[in-house]
Amino acid sequence: MPDASFSKSPIDIASGHTVRRYDEELAKLRGIILEMGERVVEQTQSAVVALVERIEYQAYRVLDREPLIDYLSLDADEEIFRVIARRQPAAIDLRIVLALSKIAGEVERAGDKAARIARQALESLTLFNANPDLSSDELKEQLQQLNDKACCMFERSIRAVATFDVKLALGIFEDEPNLYSASNEVRQVLGESNHENLTPRQVVCLLTTAHALERIGNHASTIAEQVIYVALGQDVRYRNREILIDTLRHYGY
Amino acid sequence: MSTTVEAMDKAMSVMSSVELASAQHSRETVGDFTADDPRMTCRNVDVWYGSKQAIKNVNLDIGKNEVVSMIGPSGCGKSTFLRSLNRMNDTIVGCRVTGSIKLDGEEIYDKGLDPVPLRARVGMVFQKPNPFPKSIYENVAYGPRIHGLTNNKAELDELVESSLMKAGLWKEVKDRLDQPGTGLSGGQQQRLCIARTIAVSPEVILMDEPCSALDPIATAIVEELIDELRQNYSIAIVTHSMQQAARVSQRTAYFHLGDLIEVGETNHIFTNPQHKLTEDYITGRFG
Repeated sequence: MPDASFSKSPIDIASGHTVRRYDEELAKLRGIILEMGERVVEQTQSAVVALVERIEYQAYRVLDREPLIDYLSLDADEEIFRVIARRQPAAIDLRIVLALSKIAGEVERAGDKAARIARQALESLTLFNANPDLSSDELKEQLQQLNDKACCMFERSIRAVATFDVKLALGIFEDEPNLYSASNEVRQVLGESNHENLTPRQVVCLLTTAHALERIGNHASTIAEQVIYVALGQDVRYRNREILIDTLRHYGY
Repeated sequence: MSTTVEAMDKAMSVMSSVELASAQHSRETVGDFTADDPRMTCRNVDVWYGSKQAIKNVNLDIGKNEVVSMIGPSGCGKSTFLRSLNRMNDTIVGCRVTGSIKLDGEEIYDKGLDPVPLRARVGMVFQKPNPFPKSIYENVAYGPRIHGLTNNKAELDELVESSLMKAGLWKEVKDRLDQPGTGLSGGQQQRLCIARTIAVSPEVILMDEPCSALDPIATAIVEELIDELRQNYSIAIVTHSMQQAARVSQRTAYFHLGDLIEVGETNHIFTNPQHKLTEDYITGRFG
């Protein structure tokens, strides 16, 4: 029997408060999170290109831009404090503010993962310079696929935040197996015999990158959980994912 | 009194004809309106001012040792409903209450029931502090004296002291009990009115926006008092401050155009209300 608590109609965040300034404050807060999310996607893609294509300046650029996401995270925190102090949000507004606070943390940590990949790109330039052919086309392709999966999930999670869209959030949960499968394939390729000439340090470098990309996908899932929390008022963290997906589908999402 | 009815008619006439037509049909209440251990039970309560229906088929329990807050926009009927719980509406010409309201299983609108002792059992604290133009002592002693609750002066003194202590006012006034109650600050006057209500040993205390005329410090003191009083009494409070409802009550009831739209645990109502009207009201999206 599906959980009836999910039967609540999705919210309409477009319907405004009597105090329009309140709407503006929440929109500003959401805007900061969306900007952070866009930057994270951009940073991740640049970092992976820097690693795969061995572009040093691009890796440095990712590292240089990483603090911008941190500063936006501080702006989000400040805005959250202001909204709580001024408006004492309740119900959906309270859920929005609490969720955006958690989402800001998730996005900021996803940004850290992009920077970690950029550092791996710089390290690989040193490690692979001795033998440039070590990073095979197959490995590049698998890494790129994992990157596409992770970035796609993350980008959709940010779009879901823009409108607290349950369908988009559900799609992210449904994509989790694909993410893990792409991540496993990278590990598998790294373990194949034609890569036996990779040094342990080089393997660690590529595994770290794969792990970081998988974690970005995990951040997307956590953000999707918060979207469900805002839209349906249900805390779905730690719930069995398959049952959750079935329940959401049952209610037409 | 007829002016009150006229005023009500005038207020109701601002509703559009469409709203009035729909107002005749009550909405189903979302949430559990029953209490585990009810002190008062209200079933299918309708209240009419002349031909205008102010309360529509409301069902609600007020449990022992709980605070139930009633919230909603102006004119939604929450004060009307509160006043019907101790027959205060009897004093309004043209006001008619139907349905069942029971106090400890006893129908309060039974023709044989005297409303005066009922109002001692179901006390009321109003929006504006309204001490009698008498001394602090007399304000508290008046009720017990007319209801014959004490046998001698010593007992009355003791009752006045304990009532003022329960209202958290004793320390502030014990040395000036003979001074006029109207000379106290607004917050103290409201606590004096609460002491006056407590003095006649009520079972239920009704509060109609008890803090709306008080500053934040006096409000905090009264809210603390409400929490303490809950240990001994059942309390129903009407408030326009949603933060206050969230702070002081265990259950919250949301009224809209005479309907009880939603009732539930306060924590739930203020974090995840089920009805859109409740959500719109408490998030300030109403209207």
